[in-house]
Amino acid sequence: MTARDLALPLILLIVGLAIGYFIAPPGKGVTTTVTTTVTVTGAPPAVTPTVTTTPAPEMRTPADTLIIAMDTSDAVSLDPARAYEFTSCFVTNQLYDKLVDFELPDLINVKPEVAERWEYSPDGLVWTFYIRKGIKFASGNPLTADDVVYSLQRVIKLKQTAYSVIEPFLKSPEQIEKVDDYTVRIRLNKTVAPSFFLSVLTFTTSSIVDSKVVEAHAKNGDMGSEWLTDHSAGSGPFVLERWDRESQFVLRANPNYWKTGQPILKTVIIKHVPEPTDQLLLIQKGDADVVIDLTADQVKQVEKQPGVKVVRVERFQNRYIGMNVAVKPLDKEEVRDAIRYCIDYDSIVNDILKGAAIKWQTVVPKGLLGANPKTPYYRNVTLAKQLLAKAGYPDGFEIELTTAPTYPAIDIATKIQADLAECGIRVKINQMTASMMYEKYRKQGLQLVLAQWGSDYPDPDSNAMAFANYRIRQLAWRNSWYDDYAADLAEKASAEMDLKRREEMYLTLTDYILDHGPYAMLYQEVAQQVIRDYVKNWLPDPTFFVLDLSKVSKVVGS
Amino acid sequence: MDLRTYVMRRLILMAFVLFGIVVITFFVSHVIPADPIGAILGPQASPELVEKIRREWGFDKPVHEQFIDYLIKLSKGDLGKSIRTNKPVMEDLLYFFPATIELATSAMVVAVAIGIPLGIVSAIKKDRWPDHVSRIFALMGVSMPVFWLGLILLFVLYYKLGLFPGPGRLDPGVPEPPRVTGLLLLDSLLAGNFEALSNALWHLALPSFVLGYYASASITRITRAALLEVLNQDFIKAARSKGLTERVVLFRHALRNALIPTTTVIGMTYGSLLEGAVLTETIFAWPGLGRYSTGAFLSVDFLAVMGATLLIALIYSLANLIVDILYAFLDPRIRYA
Repeated sequence: MTARDLALPLILLIVGLAIGYFIAPPGKGVTTTVTTTVTVTGAPPAVTPTVTTTPAPEMRTPADTLIIAMDTSDAVSLDPARAYEFTSCFVTNQLYDKLVDFELPDLINVKPEVAERWEYSPDGLVWTFYIRKGIKFASGNPLTADDVVYSLQRVIKLKQTAYSVIEPFLKSPEQIEKVDDYTVRIRLNKTVAPSFFLSVLTFTTSSIVDSKVVEAHAKNGDMGSEWLTDHSAGSGPFVLERWDRESQFVLRANPNYWKTGQPILKTVIIKHVPEPTDQLLLIQKGDADVVIDLTADQVKQVEKQPGVKVVRVERFQNRYIGMNVAVKPLDKEEVRDAIRYCIDYDSIVNDILKGAAIKWQTVVPKGLLGANPKTPYYRNVTLAKQLLAKAGYPDGFEIELTTAPTYPAIDIATKIQADLAECGIRVKINQMTASMMYEKYRKQGLQLVLAQWGSDYPDPDSNAMAFANYRIRQLAWRNSWYDDYAADLAEKASAEMDLKRREEMYLTLTDYILDHGPYAMLYQEVAQQVIRDYVKNWLPDPTFFVLDLSKVSKVVGS
Repeated sequence: MDLRTYVMRRLILMAFVLFGIVVITFFVSHVIPADPIGAILGPQASPELVEKIRREWGFDKPVHEQFIDYLIKLSKGDLGKSIRTNKPVMEDLLYFFPATIELATSAMVVAVAIGIPLGIVSAIKKDRWPDHVSRIFALMGVSMPVFWLGLILLFVLYYKLGLFPGPGRLDPGVPEPPRVTGLLLLDSLLAGNFEALSNALWHLALPSFVLGYYASASITRITRAALLEVLNQDFIKAARSKGLTERVVLFRHALRNALIPTTTVIGMTYGSLLEGAVLTETIFAWPGLGRYSTGAFLSVDFLAVMGATLLIALIYSLANLIVDILYAFLDPRIRYA
C-alpha cells in the first residue's frame, strides 16, 4: 500500500506548487511551496490578478451576440410602469419605443421616435402628438393612438414606482385622450417647460406597450403588470426572450423593428455577475464584451491591456453632504461654509475615487441644461476656523455623520471625519444600511448625511426641484431648508417656456444654493465601462438608459 | 420505543422549533427600523407614494395583526409575496433552491471524497508525514476564505490556463434544457441534451471544489479521530489476533464503527453548505438561494427573508433527523431515546 500512500500527498504537493507558482508575484522566483500558502489566514489578501502582455485575442464570443457582464441585482421589474432602477431601465429601453427620445451624445434636444411631430399650446398646457404610421410591434400588431393612450394611462392608473416621474403634471387618466387613430392629445395640469416635459417622455415610464398583447395577459385588473415583469410587448429593437433572475437577461432581435429593419446584433445577453473581480477576468479573457462595474483600480489595471477599451462619461449622479438646518449649529450659514471649506475635495476625487469622479459643486450635473461649473470651495482650514469663530464656535462642536456602509461612501466619510477634525469639528460616523438611512432621512431625522442623488431623466428639473424646493419634500425638506426664494425659482424654472431664459434661471438658482444651501457637493460620478475593442458604437451614456443597442455591432479590426 | 414513534416525536418537536423560528424572524425583521418600501422605491420617491405602497402591502397595520395574517397564510402553505421580485416567495424559493441543492450536493460529494480517504490515511499513518500533510491540507481548507480560494482558482484555472469555464452555470452559447426540476444536470439528462450536461458539469466543478474543500476539513479530522479511537479498542485487537488481514480489519470492522460520528458531521455540514453557499454563489455568479436571500436581506424584503430562513431551518432539522435514523443502521446498539 505504500505506493498508494504516496500518491495522494504527491498530488497535493504538485497542486500546491502549481498554485504557488501562479500566484507568486513576478520576480520572486518559484520558491513558494505548500507551506507558504497555508499561512494565509485571517484577513484575506485582495486578489489582484496581474495583467500580462498577451497578443490581441480574437473574438471568443459569437459575432452576432453581445455579452454584457454587470451587477443586475437592482432589477425589480421590466414593466415600464414599474421599472425604475438602472438595470431595468437599461433593459426596458431596448424593448420599447417612446413618443420621443434622446440620441447620444445630445441630451438637450429630443428627437422624434413614435411621434413624428408634435405641437403645444402657447401656455404649454395642451400637447398634440402625431404618431408615425406603419410602426409595428414585435407581435405584428400596428402601433396606433390607442396604444399610446393605453400605455400612458396605465402608468397613472397603476401608480407604481415609476409613476413619480410624471406625477407632478399627469394625475388623472383623462388627461390623455385619443383624437384619431394617429393623434394623441395630452393636457397637463400645470405649465411645465417644453424641454422638461419632452425630457420626461424619454424616460422608460413613457414606453409604448402593445395594448392588445398586454390586455390579453391582464389578471385581476393588474393591466398585465405581473406578466410584463418578465415579458415584453414593445416595438423596440429587441424582444425579451427570458429573464432568469439572478442569472441573465436574454434579448433577441425584433424581426419587425421599424427603424432599421432589424438590429445588427441577433442576441444580447446581460449576465448577472455581481463580483467586480469576476467581471475583470471575463473581460480580460474575452468571455464578456462589455463590463460595467469595475473598481477604479481595476480599470487602471485593465486599461493597459491590448484588446480592451475604457469608455468614460460623467454620469448624472452626484454625491453630497447634506446638513440638516434644524440641527444646531448647522442653522448658521458660517458653520455650513466652514464645513464646506474644511473638506479636501481634490483628495476625495483623486485618492479615493481615482478617476471615477470629477469635482463638481453645484446641484445640476455637468451635461445638463443650466449646469454651473463653478467650484468655489476648496480646503482652507484657516478660513474655516475663522468662520467657526465668527459663528461662536471657536472650539468647534460635535456632530453625527450618517452614511451607508458601502464602498466608497465609508472611505469618504472617514476622510471627511479627518478633514473636519482639523477644523475642530468632531464627527461621529454613524453607519446604517441604505434602507434604514433613507427611512430616517425622509423623516428629517439626520444631522449630517453622506448621500447620492441621481437625475431620473436628462433635465435639470430632477435635481433643481429636489435640492431647492422644500415643498415637494425631497432633499431640501429632508435637510429642513425652507427657503422660499430657492423653491419659487425652481418652480418658475420648471415652467419657463423659453429655453434660454430657463437656462439662466438654473444658473442663478445653482449659484444661490452654492452660497446658501445646506449641502456640500462633493463630486459627480464618472462611469468607466470597459469594452472589447471590436465592440462598435457603444456610446458613453450619462444615464445608462438612452444607449440604443440596435446600433451596436461587433467587428474585428477597422 | 420503535422507529415510527421516534420519528413522530421528532417531527412534532421539529414543528415547535420551526414555529419558534417563524416568531423570531418575524419580530426581528419587523422591529428593525428599516423601511422595505423606501428601499425598493429608492431615495427619489415622494412620501405620498411611499405611504400608498406601504398601505398596499399592508405594512401600515400593527405588527401583531401582520403576524396573525402571516400565520394564517403560512398555515395554507403561502409564504406571502416578495416585495423585490413581486412574486410569491414560495415560487421564488422553488426557482432558486435547485441551483443551491445542485451545488451543495456536489460539494458534499467532493467533501466526502476528499475527507474520508484523507482521514483514513491520517489515522493509519498517525504522526507520520502523510498525517502531517493531510492535517495541513485540512487546515488550509478551513483557513482559506472561500471567496479568496474561489478567485484564485478562477484566476489560475479559468483565466490563466483556460482549463475550466468562468463564472455561471452554463456558457452563454449553450442552449439551456427545458426546466423540469431546476437541477440543471438532471434536466439536461431528461432532455437528452448532453452538450448542456457536460457544460453544466464543467461549470459545477470549481465551485463545488471550493465549497467542498472547505467542508472536507471537519470530515477529515473527525474520521481520523474516530478511526483512531476505534483502532485502539479490544475488538480490533481480537480481530487482528484472529489473523485477519489489515485491510479486512480496517474496512470491515474499524471503519464501520468509525463512520458514525462522521455521518453526524456530514449531515450537519450539508445543512451548513446549503446556507453557507452565499459567498461561493457570489464568486461564481451562481443563481442560488444564497444569492436570493442576500438580495432579499439587503432590500429588507421581510417575507422573502423569512421564507428562506424557514426553508433552511426545515432542511437543517430534516438532515438532523435523517442522521439520527442512519445511526441505527450503522450501529444497532444505538436506541432511539
